[in-house]
Amino acid sequence: MSNDPYSDRVRALFDAPAHAGVLDGGFSARADDQGLRIRLSATTSNGEISALRFQAWGCPHLIAAAEAFCAGYEQRSAADLLDFSASDLMQSLAVPVEKTGRILVLEDAVRSLGCIVRETSTQLKKED
Amino acid sequence: MEHIYLDYAASTPVDAWVVEAMTALMTADGNYANPSSTHAAGRQSIAHIAHAAGQLAGLLNTDADRLIWTSGATESDNLAILGAARYRQQRGRHLITMRTEHKAVTDPFKELERQGFDVTWLNPEASGLLDGATLKAALRDDTQLVSIMHINNETGVIQDIAQLGAICRERDILFHVDAAQSAGKLPIDLSALPVDLMSMTAHKVYGPKGIGALYIADRPGVHVEPMLFGGGQQRKLRPGTLPAQQIVGFGVAAAIAQSRMSDDLKHLKALRERLWFGIRDIPGISTNGAMESAFPGILNVSIEDIEGESLLLALEPLCVATGSACNSKSQEPSYVLRALGTSDALAQSAIRFSFGRPTRAADIDIAIERYRTAVEKLRNMAPERAA
Repeated sequence: MSNDPYSDRVRALFDAPAHAGVLDGGFSARADDQGLRIRLSATTSNGEISALRFQAWGCPHLIAAAEAFCAGYEQRSAADLLDFSASDLMQSLAVPVEKTGRILVLEDAVRSLGCIVRETSTQLKKED
Repeated sequence: MEHIYLDYAASTPVDAWVVEAMTALMTADGNYANPSSTHAAGRQSIAHIAHAAGQLAGLLNTDADRLIWTSGATESDNLAILGAARYRQQRGRHLITMRTEHKAVTDPFKELERQGFDVTWLNPEASGLLDGATLKAALRDDTQLVSIMHINNETGVIQDIAQLGAICRERDILFHVDAAQSAGKLPIDLSALPVDLMSMTAHKVYGPKGIGALYIADRPGVHVEPMLFGGGQQRKLRPGTLPAQQIVGFGVAAAIAQSRMSDDLKHLKALRERLWFGIRDIPGISTNGAMESAFPGILNVSIEDIEGESLLLALEPLCVATGSACNSKSQEPSYVLRALGTSDALAQSAIRFSFGRPTRAADIDIAIERYRTAVEKLRNMAPERAA
């Protein structure tokens, strides 16, 4: 029997959020919902995500999820952002089902970031 | 890092003298007899219980035969509230309590509401104190019971039970006090206080868990209907085999509390001041409940623009309490703090630090450092609010 609401992974990610912060330049997107705030920033190179950072105001699960997302999506195709789904993260972090809404705020922010990256890239190609 | 326990309002360690006294009643070479037995060992066991009752009665300056042993403050509250309301229901079915009471009080009142009783829920002032005029205004001809806690478990605010009790006594209304946080911590003189029923527990004052008591004044009209049936113990008000070792533990804890109370209070006051002086300059911090009216063993603080659940986790290895109803399953801010007029956001960030005899100044210094670091970390991590 355990009354610890956090998995070991959530604790580790929350304790040492290596990707907390803001990247100068690049792209950024934010989502504000349910009293939560999350901002993501990214730099890309040749369609690939070079670096990701997050800022978050919310519960430990949200912060851990944001850190896990950033760590997992660097060096991946920027197009993958548009397909991001929070469900895998929720499972791997053992996020309680009642917090689903909070993690969906992260999903909104990631997809917004994906849209911004795509639109900006399309714009740049047209200008070329 | 070892945890640093600053949650003494939730529970305390059992004093070594208490453990020794209890152990002597549990082992084969001790006196483990059933206190209801009439043989020599049983009579010896009941003598131990009588001695413990005298110790607790001494702490409260009352007669030992006014005390009923229970499993703890929750049971005492239930027995007092449900029992008194039912006993007096032929005279009237109006009851009064506060919105800032512990669940052990609010839930029995809600149950009585379901049974058709009429309950008035009073709000405190912003300080956490109940104004006597507010209580007076709520009294009706059919009011039978008023229940007000002594020290609030979240804010530490101390109600003026002498004044509130006097208002009730003028109208012959029963006055119940939940003293779970105060018995053994503040001077209580039941020979002078206009209190009819008082709930208390051992584990908040370095006694064992699982034992409490209910004081029932020796006054006409003061009585409770029992909730348990099955034996004749304790004047049939709370039957069941008396747990002699628990009761003896409570008695010893009460005696120690009585002898150390003045020193304990000085110690707690110094610790609270040390902590508050160490964090009070953090922008956006505030105390919940008026400190000048509060028990020094509790400091409850809120802070602007900090998420409470993350703050609680970032404070580890400090063992403190949050202002939320419970941690991850509900982010409902504390109903106690909301009743004080605290905003949801501030209530949600509330942290209750509570201190005890083992707490050292060095523990407080670590708490100061952890709190400051946690707030800085979370603020640095948060995006600015949207314009």
